[in-house]
Amino acid sequence: MKTTRWVALLALFGLIVAACGSSTTDTTETTAATTTTVAPATTTTAPAEPSADFQGESLDAGSCDYGGKIESITALDEFTVEFDLCSSDPAFLQKAAFTPFGIQPEEHLQETGGAPLDNPIGTGPFMLEQWDRGNQIVFKANPDYYGQVPAFDTLVYRWATEGAQRLLELQSGNVDQITNPSPEDFQTIQDDPNLQFIPIANPNVFYMGFTNTFAPFDDVNVRQAIAKGIDRQRIVDNFYPDGSVVASHFTPCAIPNGCTGDDWYDFDPEAARQQLADAGFPDGFSTKIFYRDVFRTYLPDPGAVAVEIQTQLKDNLNIDAEVVVMESGDFIDQSTSGNLDGIHLLGWGADYPHITNFLDFHFNENQTQFGNNFPEIYDALKQGAKIGNPDDAVDVYTTANNAIKDLVPMIPIAHGAAASAALASVEGANYPPFGAPQFEFTNPGKDTFVYMQNNEPISLYCADETDGESLSPCQQVVEPLYTYAIDSGDVVPRLATSCDPNEDLTVWTCHLRTGVTFHDGSTFDANDVVASWSVGLDASNPLHVGNTGGFDYFAYLWDGLMNAEG
Amino acid sequence: MTSYITRRILLAIPVLIGLLVVTFFLVRLIPGDPCTAILGEKATPAACRSFDQRYGLDDPIPVQLVIYVKQIFQGNLGDSLQSSRPVTQIMVERLPLTIELTVTALFLAVLIGIPLGLLSARRHNSAADVATMTFANIGVSMPVFWLGLLLQYLFALILKDTFFALPPSGRLSAGVLPVPFYEVWGWAVNTHTMWGGFLEFIGEFAIFNAFITGDWHLLWDAVTHLILPGIALATIPLAIIARITRSSLLEVLGKDYIRTARAKGALERRVVAKHAFRNAMLPVVTIVGLQLGLLLGGAVLTETVFNLSGVGKSLYEAITARDYAVIQGFVVVIASGYVIVNLLVDISYGFLDPRIRYE
Repeated sequence: MKTTRWVALLALFGLIVAACGSSTTDTTETTAATTTTVAPATTTTAPAEPSADFQGESLDAGSCDYGGKIESITALDEFTVEFDLCSSDPAFLQKAAFTPFGIQPEEHLQETGGAPLDNPIGTGPFMLEQWDRGNQIVFKANPDYYGQVPAFDTLVYRWATEGAQRLLELQSGNVDQITNPSPEDFQTIQDDPNLQFIPIANPNVFYMGFTNTFAPFDDVNVRQAIAKGIDRQRIVDNFYPDGSVVASHFTPCAIPNGCTGDDWYDFDPEAARQQLADAGFPDGFSTKIFYRDVFRTYLPDPGAVAVEIQTQLKDNLNIDAEVVVMESGDFIDQSTSGNLDGIHLLGWGADYPHITNFLDFHFNENQTQFGNNFPEIYDALKQGAKIGNPDDAVDVYTTANNAIKDLVPMIPIAHGAAASAALASVEGANYPPFGAPQFEFTNPGKDTFVYMQNNEPISLYCADETDGESLSPCQQVVEPLYTYAIDSGDVVPRLATSCDPNEDLTVWTCHLRTGVTFHDGSTFDANDVVASWSVGLDASNPLHVGNTGGFDYFAYLWDGLMNAEG
Repeated sequence: MTSYITRRILLAIPVLIGLLVVTFFLVRLIPGDPCTAILGEKATPAACRSFDQRYGLDDPIPVQLVIYVKQIFQGNLGDSLQSSRPVTQIMVERLPLTIELTVTALFLAVLIGIPLGLLSARRHNSAADVATMTFANIGVSMPVFWLGLLLQYLFALILKDTFFALPPSGRLSAGVLPVPFYEVWGWAVNTHTMWGGFLEFIGEFAIFNAFITGDWHLLWDAVTHLILPGIALATIPLAIIARITRSSLLEVLGKDYIRTARAKGALERRVVAKHAFRNAMLPVVTIVGLQLGLLLGGAVLTETVFNLSGVGKSLYEAITARDYAVIQGFVVVIASGYVIVNLLVDISYGFLDPRIRYE
């Protein structure tokens, strides 16, 4: 009798667990039902084009009224795609090289219902073998890769959230390369003969922002006085890892035209106090310093830096500042909406290597973060946005940078340093300024290479992901038309052999690489490009599913999605 | 006994419903919104509106609650806001690891804690007693994360390249991929069915799966990855069990019937084993049951320190990402586990002590 009761209890538990398993699969079936969807409704046959049986497809918004950047994408022939833009975009290549714009086979997107979340198919140097959820992702080298064929057979991605833990795994020899060791461990890595330190030159900036609709920050003299009264070198020396530098401009110098114009104000507390007194605040004033306690490369120790700035404001300018820590999301909302009536500590990491990613985003005509906008700045930026060759844009960006210095919408403080680390025995270990490591150029001297990053990817369909932990493994499998150089912010052709703009940078014609096959054996052509972009860019496309369905980088970098509701 | 079990199960239902409602509201009190946490700080307002709409987060809270409760009664814990995957699927992947870790820790705690308590009680006030209780006090007061870091440093770095080296984190070594037993045996399992789902769940137990498929390399790899986290997680319950065993046995050894047994000339070993030990186990079993429940829900630190993607770590990550569905689903399942374990403990009293009758 007793035994029977125990068995009954165990069976009950088993049923509960089994019920969990069954409801899981029910949902999966529902999702799978959408895989019968055929080609996107917005895809139409392109007008007359060359040879053979190729039926070129296109995505056409019909007009630019939706507010986005792209009007149409057309497969002119099997290996030519034309992007028609609504306005000039000198950063087209830099944006198009971003991993979310990687190309997958049109048929695969259809078969997966627009959600190849854990089975991406690309043309890259590695092919996905298995994602053992929670543990690791295993890739196999693509022996037919048209570029540099990897020197090893198996690439393994693992993850650990703590920098110290990643370093421990590296030191113990369980992994070959790690990302983002803690800044306090930089010296340890550099002193260890078994390890190699790999600086990451990813451009970023940390700044003190003001919203000039709130007094006393509506007075440019107050803002200039604070700019002169902050010892930025002291902040960098005390709170940033080696390799970080004081910001001479808002945009880092690694970005073309980032440092044109005059350097930022020198630290001069006497002049600062005098200017503040002349502005009507001889005894200083009271304000707040808002920040969020979140680690970023541009601000590795937010709390300590906030207190340091509080101290400097008091010592140098007699300004009493209350330090206010806010929840991260709320802080971002409030600061970017221009609702914070004090100083906010924020920063920016580059998405793509072009000055527009820094200046246009922050100082455009419609931004609200810094209060009322400055035509002295955004007029110059508008001109710059029409110039493709950086050398031709030096004058306008000099004007813009000098206007930023004069008007002080914010005070640039520092460009933070980041790093990766690898075993000393690994040849060609790299971490490019943009994008993920390019492991096809790495040789660990053995069959398996193990890389450890911060977190598990959310999915491997990176058209609809934004986090670096998802984008990095995606990049090994799926390739965009262009990619970022391994050692600079330049872009180099990948699936395209070239993309040529017209004179006013509104039409980009991309010539595709021929003879390329996807990992499933299908042939890469222009329709795959149109389909991959259409799925992300057109919200009415039946395959516009993805993970969250946000396709945020399509919306963010191309100024909105076609046919989006609301 | 049957009516007692039935009554306990029925009583657990309102507890779980209350928990469901409280959890639902608590997760929405966490500062910050899921959109910014999941889509990132560069998400546009339009993207956030679309996100909220997709997951029903723009509905009034009472409407969200009704929809959620309705889903629960249909056996659906919802989809993760972050990955769009069913919460039950995530649970199927993550729960086995936590169970393996918890069982390992409890196994170590019982296997070492009870003998230490017995030794301490048998040699009351001796050097062994003092040493054991000192060890127990240190164990109780040592933070898991600190002990975990020490163990990692010792076994992964200091003992690196020796026989005693152990992996500092992770479930399996890089490149070691488990194959579920039903695939090894060539079973055509449809994981979309209840039975298939259950087999998939069982197949996620790495040690069990490796054992029954005879994959000794995988078994060894899985076991070595559980040793350090198992020790770290076992330390506190081990110390508690040792102390409770000691005090309970000391109390029982002072009872009249023990004196009677001794007076009858029974050997001390027989007195302890036959007359004292079983009676002394009642409070120990209670503590073991409570510890099991606590370990199930409290492995967060251990899983985080040792980078094990079990329920605890996943729950922590879900809280960070404001992934409401995962938080709610995991809390409900952990709480259910706690209730079941406590029920089993109560039932076990009847087996240990014939005086206790529920019927």
